[in-house]
Amino acid sequence: MRSKIAHGEQINGWLFVMPALALLGIFLVYPILWSLWISLQVGKGSNLHFGGFANILRLFGDKVFLHALTNTCVFFVVQVPIMILLALVFAVMLNDAKLWGRGIFRTAIFLPCVTSLVAYSALFRSMFESDGVVNNGLMALHLIAEPIQWLTDPFWAKVMIILAITWRWTGYNMIFYLAALQNIDQSIYEAARIDGIPARARFFRLTIPLLKPVILFTSIISTIGTLQLFDEVNNITQGGPGDATLTLSLYIYNLTFQFMPSFGYSATVSYVIVVLVAILSFLQFLIARDKK
Amino acid sequence: MKKLSTRWGSAFGCLVIGAGMMASASASELTVWCWDPDFNVPAMQDAAARYTKLHPDVKITVNNIAQNDIKQKLQTQLLANVTDGLPDIVLIQDDNAQRFLQGFPAAFEPLSDAIDLKKFAPYKVAAATYNGKSYSVPFDSGVTGLFYRSDYLAAAGYKPADLQDITWDQLIKIGKDVKAKTGHDFFDLDFNEAGLVRAMMQSAGKWFFTADGQLDIIDNAPLKAALETYSKLWKADIVKPVSGWSAYTGAFTSGDVAAVASGAWMTGTIKGSPDQSGKWGVAPLPKLDGIEGATHYSNWGGSSWYVFSSSKQKTTATDFLNTVWAGDIDFYQGILINQGAVGSLLAAREGAAYKASDPFFGGAPVWENFSNWLGQIPSVDYGTFTQEVNSAIQAQLPSIAKGGSVDEALKAINDRVSQQIQ
Repeated sequence: MRSKIAHGEQINGWLFVMPALALLGIFLVYPILWSLWISLQVGKGSNLHFGGFANILRLFGDKVFLHALTNTCVFFVVQVPIMILLALVFAVMLNDAKLWGRGIFRTAIFLPCVTSLVAYSALFRSMFESDGVVNNGLMALHLIAEPIQWLTDPFWAKVMIILAITWRWTGYNMIFYLAALQNIDQSIYEAARIDGIPARARFFRLTIPLLKPVILFTSIISTIGTLQLFDEVNNITQGGPGDATLTLSLYIYNLTFQFMPSFGYSATVSYVIVVLVAILSFLQFLIARDKK
Repeated sequence: MKKLSTRWGSAFGCLVIGAGMMASASASELTVWCWDPDFNVPAMQDAAARYTKLHPDVKITVNNIAQNDIKQKLQTQLLANVTDGLPDIVLIQDDNAQRFLQGFPAAFEPLSDAIDLKKFAPYKVAAATYNGKSYSVPFDSGVTGLFYRSDYLAAAGYKPADLQDITWDQLIKIGKDVKAKTGHDFFDLDFNEAGLVRAMMQSAGKWFFTADGQLDIIDNAPLKAALETYSKLWKADIVKPVSGWSAYTGAFTSGDVAAVASGAWMTGTIKGSPDQSGKWGVAPLPKLDGIEGATHYSNWGGSSWYVFSSSKQKTTATDFLNTVWAGDIDFYQGILINQGAVGSLLAAREGAAYKASDPFFGGAPVWENFSNWLGQIPSVDYGTFTQEVNSAIQAQLPSIAKGGSVDEALKAINDRVSQQIQ
């Protein structure tokens, strides 16, 4: 009798989770496995056939891929630390209860996150044109003598993309830090102040260690986000000038939609991103692990 | 579990097919996809109105979908073998056509049996011919011209006649004089657009591939000359760097730069500033220096109409294209005047609108010129991998503009493309 009830509960339980499982299976597990299978196929358009590791070998000879990989790494090595640090500084500043109008500042810094990626890219594009607002402003302040070719110079185009994504995502990370800061017991700081610890040391010795799990979390999601960078480069520079801002995601897009489609190879490149994300997340965990 | 998931699958399948069927609608109803609301969309709407007047039972819907979206939709749907939701007729740009024809051979309906394609400019028909059959009704021609501000040139002491039958080197000299006198750059160029290089190359009757489809970059003399000319333009300091289409067109429509080399379809954009009427002229493209077979005539862009073989109304669709687009001379006069569309139906050149002169271009018979040049464009085979080569060239343009070696650029392009098209 008891086992019958347990049995019935088991069936009921499975029936309840079945819709969710089925949807997950169709829309998550199946595509992932299928793309893994596709990544082993070679051929153009619909004429695909099994190619074993041919696509992986092709990666190593593909200069465009290596170029896109380098660009992507430059973006995340330069941009993620800048953004994390900025977000942290903003969060600590805006956590100060005595600061006038901090609600306004918080909103202002968070607001970029709610704008559409395409809309803000279009805006940045027009602002950074050679006779756009940014150049005109800098020239009016006599900071530069000649307009900076933000969009047509390979170096400045990279700088501009980094500026754009920093503007868009700093507020997003700041919110995590603000939330975490509010969870820190104020008595810790009080005790530190009584012990005569200077503000700088309180920040480095107290705030940062206490925020470590959140910093780790934001670094990982920022890294993943930067590795998948697509909207900005596609809308602002289209990967140009001369592939200077080509990212892996944009390359995948080009391989699939711009060029004669080679779905197998583009699936392989997207698995490169998966592997990179896995490795980098693992490294970050390793580095941030408590030394015992 | 397995049974359940397949049932889920079929339920979703039904939904998708159901939605598709609703989109493809009832009997004599045609759907057309094209992309430019100032150009090919109104032209197609005009054509549709003419056909429905003759056949009131046919309803034609023209959808305005961005060109990139059309390309992506075709690519993904044809690849997935899903034809639901595809239109009956679609517009495809010529240098993209072979990619679709060769990648998806059964997707398009051959039209060369039903429609007499000899009535069209041969190079347009060649662009859509695959395995001996032609698949499109040609629409607009991308016949190139050099659009220039005649007032700026006059300020530097040049008359329209000075731009006839010249080489690119001579044009660069003119450009320098114009800049010295007026302070305006001569051209504006975008590193993400290699159209000028392609147009220069085609003016000498070459493309990126040999007749048997092999990549032809390193020993491609017109391509090399085109890249060298590109380099010279920058070296002469008469080019304003821009990025993006609106900045590109903005530079010459605002009077910031003096000239633009482009396809005839640019006329509409240029005439978008009526206050500049009478200040513009059109000359044929300059010739490449020292290249055998170099001409003043080339092509940039231009597109054609294709019928899907999956269309349930393909007979009606073909008849529509045949009746209006391959027969109605009067229709071509209308789209020429209203949209600035230089059609590729050769007989349309005899119409009144083509003979008229245009006060915007100082009263010159621009349309007659364009259609005369159209007949002389060297015909080339665009092949399957134009996009790949194009993107490889774009990657080299910044370094070429900075004075980098053209030979090294050619080698880099060759390496990159041969790696990509394997």
